[in-house]
Amino acid sequence: MLKDISVSFAPHISKPLSTRRVMIDVAIGLTPAILAAGIFFRVYALLLIGVCVAWCVVTEWLCNAIRKKPNSLGDYSAVVTGIILALALPPGLPLWAAAIGASVSIVIGKMVFGGLGANVFNPAMVGRAFLTASFGVLMTTWAVPATINDAMPAMSQDDITDTRTQATPLAWSKIAIKQQAEAETLSGRQFLSTITGEVGGCMGETSTLAILLGAAYLLWRRTINFHIPLAVLSSALLFGGIAYLIDSDAYVQPFFHLTSGALLFGAFFIATDPVTAPLTRRGMWLFGIGVGAITMVIRVLGEYPEGFMYAVLLMNAVTPLIDRLCKRIPAGGKPNA
Amino acid sequence: MTTDSQGRSTFTGGVHPPDSKHLTEDKAIAPGPPVKELAIFLSQHIGAPCQASVAKAAMVEAGQPIGECQGFVCAPVHAPIAGKVKEIALQSHPVLGRSPAVTIVAEEEVQPAAPSFQRPDAFDPKTYNREQICDAAREAGLVGMGGAGFPTSVKIHHDAKPAKHTLLVNACECEPYITCDYRLMLEWTDQVITGIELAQRACGASKVFIGIEDNKPKAIETMTAAIQKLGLGGAMNVVRLETKYPQGGERQLINAVMGEHVPTGGIPPMIGVVVLNVATAAALAEAVINNQPLTHRVVTVTGEAIANPGNYYVAIGTPVQTLIDFCGGVTTKSAKVVMGGPMMGQAIADLNTPITKTSGAITVLTKEQIGQAKFERRQTACIRCGRCLEVCPENLNPTSIAHAVKSNLLDVAERHFIGACIECGCCSYVCPANIELTGYIKTGKIFLARQRKQMPA
Repeated sequence: MLKDISVSFAPHISKPLSTRRVMIDVAIGLTPAILAAGIFFRVYALLLIGVCVAWCVVTEWLCNAIRKKPNSLGDYSAVVTGIILALALPPGLPLWAAAIGASVSIVIGKMVFGGLGANVFNPAMVGRAFLTASFGVLMTTWAVPATINDAMPAMSQDDITDTRTQATPLAWSKIAIKQQAEAETLSGRQFLSTITGEVGGCMGETSTLAILLGAAYLLWRRTINFHIPLAVLSSALLFGGIAYLIDSDAYVQPFFHLTSGALLFGAFFIATDPVTAPLTRRGMWLFGIGVGAITMVIRVLGEYPEGFMYAVLLMNAVTPLIDRLCKRIPAGGKPNA
Repeated sequence: MTTDSQGRSTFTGGVHPPDSKHLTEDKAIAPGPPVKELAIFLSQHIGAPCQASVAKAAMVEAGQPIGECQGFVCAPVHAPIAGKVKEIALQSHPVLGRSPAVTIVAEEEVQPAAPSFQRPDAFDPKTYNREQICDAAREAGLVGMGGAGFPTSVKIHHDAKPAKHTLLVNACECEPYITCDYRLMLEWTDQVITGIELAQRACGASKVFIGIEDNKPKAIETMTAAIQKLGLGGAMNVVRLETKYPQGGERQLINAVMGEHVPTGGIPPMIGVVVLNVATAAALAEAVINNQPLTHRVVTVTGEAIANPGNYYVAIGTPVQTLIDFCGGVTTKSAKVVMGGPMMGQAIADLNTPITKTSGAITVLTKEQIGQAKFERRQTACIRCGRCLEVCPENLNPTSIAHAVKSNLLDVAERHFIGACIECGCCSYVCPANIELTGYIKTGKIFLARQRKQMPA
């Protein structure tokens, strides 16, 4: 005889997929970039990632405890935020600064809005923006990759801390813009290094190969779809190409823009954050084109060498408007009511 | 016609749940459980409910009408067995809650006999008048047996404008587990084809397509061979469809086969198309040629919790409990009993709920399967991943509609076209946050209907 018959809405079966699984997939997709950071910037990079993840997790737990909300760590989104933040930090950043950034990411970036799903801005980018505004020098001091690269001369050597720093490829291209010359020689020399990752820059953003490997996994798992990355990259390529055609002496060739800086990493791992990106296909295209265009405007015309973070935050802010603009029309057309 | 890389017709969106048809697909249609007491609902269709035409304690014959039509869009109901009317009272209805039904008690148990349909030699549908076919369908109480239950006589009537140009036979059976239509095509092939010919004759369509999903190669083969043998090759075409849920939703089927969209809020006849389920076609052949009312149907009793799953020829009005017991009972203590398939079927709480004309299956899911489904897993916040938008076959925005309903913003839900939802369940199926999107949307529709005073509170 049957006991405990359950009743509910249809459907009565569901796909074995959870938010946690989605977040684990993103973490797996980030693994090649983590490994690349470990190879180029050694143990300190892994330490930095560990600190960011740990502080994100602790902060979220504290926020929930203070507000007497159920524990939300089970969705692993704090872990992903921690990894993405760490990979977007310079490799020589002191650990205390990283911890502050991680806490700000979670508190200001996510929990004040009501937790995962309600945040307007990408939490990791909020944390990074806070660090950039607060510790400008630390955030633009770039340690040289441990695998010493002759094509990348160290700019200075600090004998006391035993770290050597250098300019990033994008900083070189900024110098070229200022001097209105030598863009070709500068970029030509570094293009190959930006593919492998043996250049200065944020930890997870230097190695094009590692990023593409992780991105391929996410696309294969359908954790992300290709619309936003393609829109970001093609719009960046277009605007970079226009600048290059106008003056190839001052502006580096457009592919160099894709492989250096945060553009590639961000296109696959940051701009695709579902919570802060539009829902509809058309919206995704608009969003991606906006991110690519703003990044290139800052890189080519602005004072900063890199503008991806600001581009994402600005487009995050207009995402609700994009969703309103790009409403879905039923397959059978609008009803005649 | 929209075709994929393998030449199969299909539509945009949809999901691929495990089809689980292996449980019953090789079980031939067998006579169902012997019954002594049946409860026949007066409302088993879309449209006005019937009025009981027999009184309490009256004696009825098998096949005698016991409920009369109360309007144009209506279908009468008949007594499946001879016996005495015990009562006319409210019974648990899978969709309508409590609904009036006529209970008939026989002298002794009657086992449904498998029907003996013989396609007449040199059968020509032209020997039947169009009105004659419609009248026979109406008198036999035929309704769409795929689930919606729209009266067939209204659907196949040739008078309505615009003129019908295409008859689409829905043989997709895209719901997981269900195999009753599949078995009909394999075993009652001639009857199904005869019914299709009659329906074509009645509605005047010049083209006939039979849409079958490609996880049923035997059905495609059998139907194609039978059509060739009867020399109907030019008029009737079997279309191979991608196996994808909800391929058998009529709007999706029309889109897959003809590449057209039925207007939102409209019905297929508005673009000159009639969609008929396989089981309905088979019943139409019986109704017209044998003059037999719709009193029995094939039901798949299936699910991992059923001891002996199978396909049975069952008297309408048989309680679900009788059917489950006939199939060896349920193997676990706690389970979920669903009338229909797991994607759109209704979970029932009362096992005395009788089978209706539209119940194609009883699916009994185990506790483990229920645990995997939404309601026992914790619902978490929407991460706006957009998976529900991707799978929505009607190109809607399920998460925005559901969250509007949740916040009681019905005008926002309407701005996102809540009325265009076909309630297929794809969004709930795929949601990683375990949100009951379809449930919210159904609730929102009911609230809206109440606002417009179409439904009593």
